[in-house]
Amino acid sequence: MTTTQRREAVLAGPANRGTRRRASPTGHPRRPVSWGRVSAWAVLILAILVTVVPFLWMIRTALSSNHSLAANSASLLPADFSWGAFKRVFGMQSPEEAIAQGGSGAAINFWLYLRNSFVVSTMITVAQVFFSALAAYAFARLQWRGRDKVFTLFLATLLVPPIFTALPNFLLIKNLGLLNTFLGIALPTMLMTPFAIFFLRQFFLGMSREMEEAAKLDGANHLRIFFQIVTPNAVGPIATLSLLTFIAAWNDYFWPLLVGQDEKVRVLTVGLSVFKSQSPQGAPDWSGLMAATLVAALPILLLFLAFGKKVVNSIGFSGIK
Amino acid sequence: MATTEIPALTHTAAPVLKSGRRGKSDLTTALIFIAPAMVGFIVFYLVPTIRGLYLSFTSYDLFGSPVWIGLTNYVKIAQDKLFWNAMAVTGEYVVINIVFQTIFALGLALLMYHVAKSTLVRGALLLPYLIANVIVALLWFWMLDYQIGIVNQVIEWLGLPRVAFFGSGTWAIPTIAFINVWRHMGYTALLLFAGLQAIPHHVYEVAALDGAGPWKTFWKITMPLLRPVMVLVLVVTVIGSFQIFDTVAVTTGGGPVNASRVIQLYIYDKAFTEQDFGYASALSVILFAILGVVAFLQMKFLRGNESELG
Amino acid sequence: MKKTLATATALAAVALSLTACGGGSSASASGEINYWLWDANQLPAYQQCATDFHAANPDLNVKITQRGWDDYWSTLTNAFVAGTAPDVFTDHLSKFPDFVAKHQLLPLDEAVKTDKVDLKQFIPGLADLWVGQNGKRYGLPKDWDTVGLFYNKAMTKSAGLSDADMAKLSWNPDDGGTYEKAIAHLTVDKNGKRGDEAGFDKTKVAVYGLGLAGSGSGQGQTEWSFLTGTTGWTHTDKNPWGTKYNYDDPKFQKTIAWWTSLADKGYMPKLETTVGASVADTFGAGKAAINTNGDWMIGQYSGYKGVQVGIAPTPTGVDGKRSSMFNGLADSISASTKNPAGATKWVEYLASPKCQDVVAGKAVVFPAIKTSSDLAEKAFAAKGTDVSAFTQQVKDGTTFLFPITDNAAKIDAIMKPAMDSVLAGKSPASSLTDANKQVNDLFAK
Repeated sequence: MTTTQRREAVLAGPANRGTRRRASPTGHPRRPVSWGRVSAWAVLILAILVTVVPFLWMIRTALSSNHSLAANSASLLPADFSWGAFKRVFGMQSPEEAIAQGGSGAAINFWLYLRNSFVVSTMITVAQVFFSALAAYAFARLQWRGRDKVFTLFLATLLVPPIFTALPNFLLIKNLGLLNTFLGIALPTMLMTPFAIFFLRQFFLGMSREMEEAAKLDGANHLRIFFQIVTPNAVGPIATLSLLTFIAAWNDYFWPLLVGQDEKVRVLTVGLSVFKSQSPQGAPDWSGLMAATLVAALPILLLFLAFGKKVVNSIGFSGIK
Repeated sequence: MATTEIPALTHTAAPVLKSGRRGKSDLTTALIFIAPAMVGFIVFYLVPTIRGLYLSFTSYDLFGSPVWIGLTNYVKIAQDKLFWNAMAVTGEYVVINIVFQTIFALGLALLMYHVAKSTLVRGALLLPYLIANVIVALLWFWMLDYQIGIVNQVIEWLGLPRVAFFGSGTWAIPTIAFINVWRHMGYTALLLFAGLQAIPHHVYEVAALDGAGPWKTFWKITMPLLRPVMVLVLVVTVIGSFQIFDTVAVTTGGGPVNASRVIQLYIYDKAFTEQDFGYASALSVILFAILGVVAFLQMKFLRGNESELG
Repeated sequence: MKKTLATATALAAVALSLTACGGGSSASASGEINYWLWDANQLPAYQQCATDFHAANPDLNVKITQRGWDDYWSTLTNAFVAGTAPDVFTDHLSKFPDFVAKHQLLPLDEAVKTDKVDLKQFIPGLADLWVGQNGKRYGLPKDWDTVGLFYNKAMTKSAGLSDADMAKLSWNPDDGGTYEKAIAHLTVDKNGKRGDEAGFDKTKVAVYGLGLAGSGSGQGQTEWSFLTGTTGWTHTDKNPWGTKYNYDDPKFQKTIAWWTSLADKGYMPKLETTVGASVADTFGAGKAAINTNGDWMIGQYSGYKGVQVGIAPTPTGVDGKRSSMFNGLADSISASTKNPAGATKWVEYLASPKCQDVVAGKAVVFPAIKTSSDLAEKAFAAKGTDVSAFTQQVKDGTTFLFPITDNAAKIDAIMKPAMDSVLAGKSPASSLTDANKQVNDLFAK
């Protein structure tokens, strides 16, 4: 797949778009099938295949018996079909049974971990996006001395090697008495991340100022402008960022492992890591690991399907209404 | 309101930041707005970074007290062959990863925007990002295994010779780069797609009225107006790919020999495995400086602080 | 090797006032004891021990945290630095010298003396491993392991090799002895030609006689140490606490050269083709006839459906005897424990027949106490696994101890790339002389 092909295909779009709107208000284009369009679809389908096929392999593996996987490594169908892996993920097997099927002897309290993951990810997402939006607005729209310098400083945190921060932050959380609490897991990313601020600032910069100026003439202060004009108009970027933040929080592993060992705050990634190899040179419980991965990804997939339309479709039209 | 104003196509960007339309400073409001983020910034980033900077001038094994040794760590790094090797390896990874990821993501974003507007397509392309990167690495590690991996099985069915994806010095870094392109392609495309959505339709309409062809529209409208988001994506992904660690750690562990020993893995090994934390801090400071220069150049050349929509 | 180390964020530090707050001084043994281990397969056994322990000591409650090997050491170091280390944890020989050097472990000598822990109940040698250079004891042994040959019975049978043949293989570094003959004969190419037949195509091998896990870095525990051990070669000048490594010894380099030659002959996969799935999974897929591996992998190997596994002892070598590295785990107490009395009680319980018999009964690992170890052998037999290949080495006294020295991590950082390079055919075995110099320079400082 060459890029030129794709560009051609894609470029047919914007030019047609204007005429299309005029020609058919219903939004259904009437055009002969063009070469560009066909190859565009071909590229898209290829991309989707490359993306999705490994997931089919995951499903196939999750539905196999772990002990039969090696011997059937070239078979495209589940090796010795079994629901055992999913039973292990949901903690429905006794340790002995699990070990016999190639799993581990660790007890799994799936629904508790799921709830914990939801609590932590929601806390992080709501707080981080809100505080970052406030800051991003100050960086994009307010006039104050030293603004660009402070922003550069904030942005520079993107460059901080993670190795600097883990241990001091761990010590801090410990000294605050927040080990094994939801707040302890969430706190370091609740107030800001450089990415979130950078992301929203770039979108705020790109937004039209007309309405803000008008509101200002009407005597609205910045707080009102932020809540009543900027935020509603930036629903798209904010929703996109929220989704990405939620996913990142959901998938985070090492920090919750460090801070939230206790069962009552253990999140899914930590709880389900027992499916990885537990001893040196050992092999993972492949079917269990794949089942766990699929099950853990399902909630965010559903979240995306529920809000995905809003996330991306609202962006383009927000400034126009 | 916005629809009534039609920016001219040739409009050169008036730097928004310097538009002194308001004389009054919003300092107080700004302080209130950035206060929570500022706390997070100072506590969780600034303080640890300054401490790391201090430790880079010390000999420190994590358990005892740091001992000041001046520039010794830096002098050692200059003569450290493994450090230079790590930088070269990391550079190779960044180039492969960024070039492919950006081209694929931009292509996909344009396709999502113009061809397939369905949430299902977007959802499918975002799927890999829903999986934690360590698991993604393990999955591909297994699927790409030389002897029993399904990919090599398929390659053999096609009559081609098997490939030692992780074991050969030539393939290790491209393979790792590919895995991360796979995981981040849809995510990056989504960011760019959001940027495309933010471009007002009327700009295209004007372009169409002016008789601009697709090629011209892309370069004269889409790319310039996409720039703020493009800069965001490039800065974030370039810096992010310099921080590559997990994928290497769970697959090759830096091998074969040192062919995939990227800088973060080297830092990690020094800090954690060998518990030479002062040296690792110095390595991190150098990486920090390099990334700073890279980011600065990117912002400068891409003019990331400006928007075409005045 | 795919030992990995968790995430990017992993470690770090910039600890300030760490060790400032020391351990408390609660003399009475009561409260909660945190205990860490990594092997999830052993978790049910130790959970049972903890329950029994609580029943006997109602004031003490053991809380077990299990996390996999890949995360275990990074989180443990973090915990040590932050002062949140578990009271008691499963310790490994390659890691404990570092912890001792950094004063993170509590000496157990006092307790051993006052509570009269019988060090003779353990299999000889195991208890000595856990004594530091200062003569103090930092761990009580919990289990042991040796190395053996796992082989695919269907393959040996069709090659005309009986279990008895497999059990009496012999090896030498010149022509590889009957060990190499068996490996060659078990190798089959895509046309069905065996490795020792005319017309064998080494570029199209279907089944390798010998599987390959990796280069073994500086220890070669399951890869080559059972061969070098028969040549009279030792890793270090003395063990434990040697200060000079012997990778420049021609005996060692000759053995490695022979081993590498197997890959050139097509009897063993090339190193570059082994980075991916685990060597055991490759065995389970029928891609190799023999794997050399440790006894902790018994469960893994005997689990594969459709593969009949036999276990043979390692071949006899140059000195006419077998050889196997003898490694073991122990339980150590962290110096920062707030409850030294309770922690000591728990460690002593873990090292007692009461707990080790429970572990033995689960047939997952061999306990360190002789009588418990015998029980484990029976438990394995009851599950249909003959483990005599592993126990025989102990009974015959053909084991040698895991090399314990300082600088383990730095040595690994030098030896892993050096051995990889040799095994991949990029450097000759003689290049190890240079690596050896780098290793020994670490001790000169």
